Amino acid sequence: MKPVIDLKLCKACNICVYICPKKCYSKGADLSEIGYFAAVVSAAEKCYNHNRDGKMICELCVLSCPDQAISWHPETEEEKRK
Amino acid sequence: MELFEFYRKDRWPHVFCPGCGIGTVMNCFYRAFNELELPLDKTAFIGGIGCSSRIPLYINSDALHTTHGRAIAFATGLRLAKPELKTVVFTGDGDLGAIGGNHFINGCRRNVDMTVICINNNIYGMTGGQASITTPHDYQSTTTPYGNKEYPFDLAEIAVAAGANYVARWTTRHVHELTRSLKAALQKKGFAFVEVVSQCPTNFGRRNKMADPTQMLEWFRQSSVRRDKTKAAEVDHVDLNLAGQITIGEFVDRNRECYEELIGVGKHG
Ligand SMILES: Cc1ncc(C[n+]2csc(CCOP(=O)(O)OP(=O)(O)O)c2C)c(N)n1
Ligand code: SF4
Ligand code: SF4
Ligand code: SF4
Ligand SMILES: [Mg+2]
Repeated sequence: MKPVIDLKLCKACNICVYICPKKCYSKGADLSEIGYFAAVVSAAEKCYNHNRDGKMICELCVLSCPDQAISWHPETEEEKRK
Repeated sequence: MELFEFYRKDRWPHVFCPGCGIGTVMNCFYRAFNELELPLDKTAFIGGIGCSSRIPLYINSDALHTTHGRAIAFATGLRLAKPELKTVVFTGDGDLGAIGGNHFINGCRRNVDMTVICINNNIYGMTGGQASITTPHDYQSTTTPYGNKEYPFDLAEIAVAAGANYVARWTTRHVHELTRSLKAALQKKGFAFVEVVSQCPTNFGRRNKMADPTQMLEWFRQSSVRRDKTKAAEVDHVDLNLAGQITIGEFVDRNRECYEELIGVGKHG
């Protein structure tokens, strides 16, 4: 699975950037529709849950994100090859 | 149940400031509640006044938004009138420990069957950052411009001394441990108290050189000490709590008779 940030919810606190042990997130540079420099998932392929058929090893980011902005989505075929 | 079946999606984005720890507690609570497969329509949520106490308004269930400090009193009444309902209280350090201090102590003493979750952000967040009964010694707030000269209450130790059946303290930097304790608290018969030391970047962090919420999380990580280890180190809990260290862990897990049993309202919601 891969983490996806909902741009309508992220308030750019960057807790995900701090908390992720695999450095999957980085600070954002683009202003979102709701007025924040939303964080970005810059290295989803490094996540502990990458290519694990839905098995969750780590969920520090999802449990920590104060704005419920991160959710899990299946990888595309191309992403699976990463 | 999906996250946004449990919470009211139409109210998102919620009102809490960027990086506020309240949202993290909401994640862990949802996770615990959902993993236990508890029925939402048989659970009532009660909050007092404050940012922390607003959580019930976001949950897709019946909620009581009560007067400041009185959530436990309302919840006690609800338990006795409708013992088939599970009762969960969300409260803050000011709501629970300051104006509501006596309700808190007596709720523990009676050991009323409810789960009480206190988000301790060491400050009155909602009203602009006045010192609370848990503001650490020498830290800044709007009402302590020379630093807080008082020493903080230790809410978890008070709950232990007053008789609660389950007591734990974690921080928002300990999401997995917190989720486990919330599960234990929800299953406990009697008064179950979980204190979560949490960041209020706007009104606590900003005045204490930790405006960035991640600085507060790092502070929690570095100053947290497991309770079993602190005993060995012989530290003075009250003096050092938060100013020097945050004692975390399960404080007590016991099975005293709860209030409902004592007065003959038997059913455990
Ligand atoms: C009877 C009464 N006194 C005072 C207030 C003002 N007031 C509102 S919230 C609050 C403090 C809340 O602090 P806390 O419980 O720590 O919540 P936080 O906002 O920090 O989460 C106070 C004093 C009030 N609403 N009612
Ligand atoms: S933790 Fe959540 S709200 Fe904060 S930056 Fe990351 S996605 Fe955005
Ligand atoms: S699940 Fe863990 S490893 Fe994966 S993105 Fe989140 S914090 Fe990083
Ligand atoms: S004032 Fe503090 S406690 Fe209230 S929402 Fe903002 S950060 Fe959270
Ligand atoms: Mg508070």
